[in-house]
Amino acid sequence: MMPGIPLFWYQLLAAILFTIGVVGVLVRRSALIIFMSIELMLNAVNLSLIAFSRQHGGMDGHVFVFFVMAVAAAEVSIGLAILVSIFRNRETASVDDVHLLKG
Amino acid sequence: MLEGILFAAFSGVAIACALGVVFHRNPVHCALLLVGVLLSLAGVFILLHAAFVAALQVIVYAGAIMVLFLFVVMLLNVKGENPLLTPGVAKGFGFLFGLIVAAELLFTVLAPGGPEGTAPAVAPLPVDFGSPAALGRLLYTTWLFPFEIVSVLLLVAVVGAVVLAKRKFF
Repeated sequence: MMPGIPLFWYQLLAAILFTIGVVGVLVRRSALIIFMSIELMLNAVNLSLIAFSRQHGGMDGHVFVFFVMAVAAAEVSIGLAILVSIFRNRETASVDDVHLLKG
Repeated sequence: MLEGILFAAFSGVAIACALGVVFHRNPVHCALLLVGVLLSLAGVFILLHAAFVAALQVIVYAGAIMVLFLFVVMLLNVKGENPLLTPGVAKGFGFLFGLIVAAELLFTVLAPGGPEGTAPAVAPLPVDFGSPAALGRLLYTTWLFPFEIVSVLLLVAVVGAVVLAKRKFF
């Protein structure tokens, strides 16, 4: 191995962050926190891409991270706009209170 | 050696802040802790010689996206959840699935033939690795078509956000 931290540790960090994000999406009730947990997962994937990019010495992973950031920005702006309009109509940001489609 | 210490510090801060994002009651604190995660990940990116992506992480993520988050948190004036976690069986299932995902990811990382096993030796880096010039060259040659699609996606997001947040939508 070259001097420097082995790829393993970066992947481990990415796995831990991704898992925390998954738990956040599953157990929290506020839609805002769920969005933040999704950002956490996207960042874990970004870290993994950058680490593999470093390992292989190519920069395609960096381009992927660039695209992930653009998609995350689009997702956040649309998601928060939906959240604002839900809040305006129903005075709630909790996903448990938005159950009109439930039978 | 110094690299190892920095990596340990950045990853420790990142994990602690991530746990704070998921388990803190006040949404504003959650957003600020998420900024902590993003900044320490930018530090890790620098350790990986991805200087330009680290700068993007700070400017776009910690700057623009998190400002949007904080803006909405304060606009909505959401109270802390009470109870914090989703009640009853759903919470148990949430942690159970989290455990399953953790087991799968750890298996992938730790298994023989995982990142260490079959990965080639660390490639020597080109001199301009991680620089804006190198990234731009890739972006406007190899990845030109995906780049155009992403710009259309951002346009759609702008139009969608304006339409959705208009007062008389529903």
